[in-house]
Amino acid sequence: MANELSQIRAFLAASAPFDRLGEDEVARAARQVTVRYARAGETILEAGTRNEQLFVLRSGAVELRLAGEELTMRLGQGGCFAYPSLLRGGEVRNTTRALEDTLLYCLPAEEFHRLREACPAVADYFNESENERIRSAVRDLRANRSSALQHATIDALLTHKQPVSCGPDLSVAEAAALMSARDVSTLAVCDEGRLVGIFTDKDLRTRVVAAQRPFDTPIAEVMTSDPRTLPTQATAAEAMALMAAGGFRHIPVRGGAGELVAILSATDILAHLGDSAIDTGMLVAKAATPEALIAAAQQIPEGLARMEAGGFHAEHVMRFTSALGEAVHRRAAELAETEFGPPPVPYTLVAFGSLARGEQLVGSDQDNGLVIDDSVDDEGRAYFERLGTRISDLLDQCGFVYCKGGIMAKNPEQRLTLGEWRDRYARWIANPDEDRVLRATIYFDMRPLHGDAALVGTLHKEVVERTQASGLFVSFLARDAQRSKVPLGFFRNLVLEKSESGRKVFDAKAQAILPVIDIARTFALSEGLGAIGTTERLEALAEAGRMARGDAESLKDAFLLVNELRIAHHAAQVRRGEEPDNALAPSALSPLERDYLKDAFQVIAAGLDSLKRNLAGGLA
Amino acid sequence: MRERIRSWRFGRRIAALAASDNPLLRDYAACRWPSPRTPLHEAKLLALDFELDGLGRTAHLLQAGWVPFDRSGIALGRAEAADIRSARRLKDEAVVVHGIGEERARGGEPLESVLAKLVPTLGGRILVAHGAQIEREAIERTTQALYGEALPVRAICTLALERRLNPNLVGSDAYRLASCRKRYNLPPYEQHDAFSDALAAAELLLAQLTRMPGDVRLGALEC
Repeated sequence: MANELSQIRAFLAASAPFDRLGEDEVARAARQVTVRYARAGETILEAGTRNEQLFVLRSGAVELRLAGEELTMRLGQGGCFAYPSLLRGGEVRNTTRALEDTLLYCLPAEEFHRLREACPAVADYFNESENERIRSAVRDLRANRSSALQHATIDALLTHKQPVSCGPDLSVAEAAALMSARDVSTLAVCDEGRLVGIFTDKDLRTRVVAAQRPFDTPIAEVMTSDPRTLPTQATAAEAMALMAAGGFRHIPVRGGAGELVAILSATDILAHLGDSAIDTGMLVAKAATPEALIAAAQQIPEGLARMEAGGFHAEHVMRFTSALGEAVHRRAAELAETEFGPPPVPYTLVAFGSLARGEQLVGSDQDNGLVIDDSVDDEGRAYFERLGTRISDLLDQCGFVYCKGGIMAKNPEQRLTLGEWRDRYARWIANPDEDRVLRATIYFDMRPLHGDAALVGTLHKEVVERTQASGLFVSFLARDAQRSKVPLGFFRNLVLEKSESGRKVFDAKAQAILPVIDIARTFALSEGLGAIGTTERLEALAEAGRMARGDAESLKDAFLLVNELRIAHHAAQVRRGEEPDNALAPSALSPLERDYLKDAFQVIAAGLDSLKRNLAGGLA
Repeated sequence: MRERIRSWRFGRRIAALAASDNPLLRDYAACRWPSPRTPLHEAKLLALDFELDGLGRTAHLLQAGWVPFDRSGIALGRAEAADIRSARRLKDEAVVVHGIGEERARGGEPLESVLAKLVPTLGGRILVAHGAQIEREAIERTTQALYGEALPVRAICTLALERRLNPNLVGSDAYRLASCRKRYNLPPYEQHDAFSDALAAAELLLAQLTRMPGDVRLGALEC
């Protein structure tokens, strides 16, 4: 047989799911193709009729509408349609119309079924719904990465030596003797089997010897009380995040019954990782001067690139990067306090937006403010003005650049007392208008970073209650979310924006990440759920039965998938010494990744639709 | 009027062929030939392209590609392509265009065997090509040389059709196959490969037909 169909074969071999087929199968499929042409506006398939063909778009674009009405999807070059009807045995549910002049390759039903039998990957592709496909896409993407730490739980890192422990009444001298005898640098202090603290070599040095305390001091007086612990099933990445956020090197690990199993040290993780990413967290926590903090913070982007190379999940990269960001904010506040003296009244440094949600990557600007105790006086306000300005300036130098919208402690509007914050939220919620909502959404993601956490806790609880009670406000949020332009017709150049270099790109953050955040936030607020992170919100919605489990999972997967691509893009930019941005060029993605993205967009568009139907209350 | 004369001439030549000693030609004549009044969507078509080693009346055929189709679609399973044997010294400028060098040309199939496959497929069908006059003349010339009778060919020229659909386009490139395809949002194909060009012309005709009345008759399109 001559190679007359080489062009058709090459096209099919580059399009999903034919890219999963062997050369012979593609060649065979190509000979089964019938080429058809449809003019823009022409109906290709009508709902209610029978269909005997699989359609592949060679050029142009089509639109599928359920029963001819509700938009199901738009497809461009390489897209496949009409297979659900083949799987069902013929009956067509979507009306397909050509949006542009379109050239179609049609495969007969028998060949479609034969290919499914010949190749399991093709069968999977067609059998799975979009939701399932995107889930397997996330799996695939991860499987394609090297997986140094992917599934490493703490359990696997522990040496399984019984931790050395003692009671709270033991003297420091006896404790030191015990540590020497058992050759450990960390001692677990337990009271009736319950972990009450840990005592380390460093504690012995700084809190006992350097402080010239008598050696018969009970260990309970010099230990670190109530240390943070992790369960054995926690991942190494979680442990790293906790260490980086807290600036410590040892974490007690508890078993299923809450019993002390081991003490995990940073060295255990480093030995496993062969990497020094945690050191950044240490450097941040220990930074004694602004210069030292700035230097430490500058290592964060490289840390992200290393994690990406190490095969970390998007979830963990975000959590770890956020933990480092949180540590930088906290240290900046501490350094500012050192400079200006202790605060006259309690206050909290609060984060809004991505840092609050624990979803920060690199290249973010700062979104923060101060919540000040109501007892503050004018002199106190002057103190917080200096403090807030100093924190913002320092953060800017650390790479958390000034917020263009002024959402930062430097701005007087962001340094309010608890009562003033309350009033401000009450005004937004009682009296929403588009402009206010537009500016306010990220305020509904808040988390205390430093100071008196209770101030923000109180505020957050009230805001959630107040929002849930205001259907009008929720409907504004739901409508506001519809501004996002999900590039459903991703492969139609129409929806892609041109970057500065003139390449067609799409904004992964604005066009895919933000819509999911909006969907999760709006639904969560409408249900009065206090969760802040996007995946936690979706999880909580499913848990509370407020969102179908499958829908929540799909949105979560779409969110993580786009973040995986975004992180890979950031890491590549960091390695090239460029400023990270969110402009993804479709040309830089593999056909498979483009295919995955299409699925993610479908899921996100469906989520926005559901938001509109359920909450926009006729305003959209 | 021209339509009727054309039809009458074709009928006379077919009638003459029916008496031929050559079964290939007799069978060709015996095919069911549609009347010019037949609606196009009922007509059987054949997209055909030859690559030649020049433009003159002595040009050699180097490659042929064809695919039968009709208004409802182009079934690629029936696609055919062949290199045609030629021992002639090839002109460099033609080699540059179609990429068929002397060595490849010597390895091709004999012209007779290619025609023995092509002629039965063309029987009862209307040839479709961009600049169909070249293919028509090449068929007439080679059958005259091989069988002593020139095969009459009915044809639709997508180039002529495009001039009717989009008159007054400026520039010499505007009516080339690739430019025409672009106007209908058809994808770019590799050019100067006989099969690709045949398929490209078939797709172009399907696209052009969407710009015409659905009941357009064959006679209105033939050249």
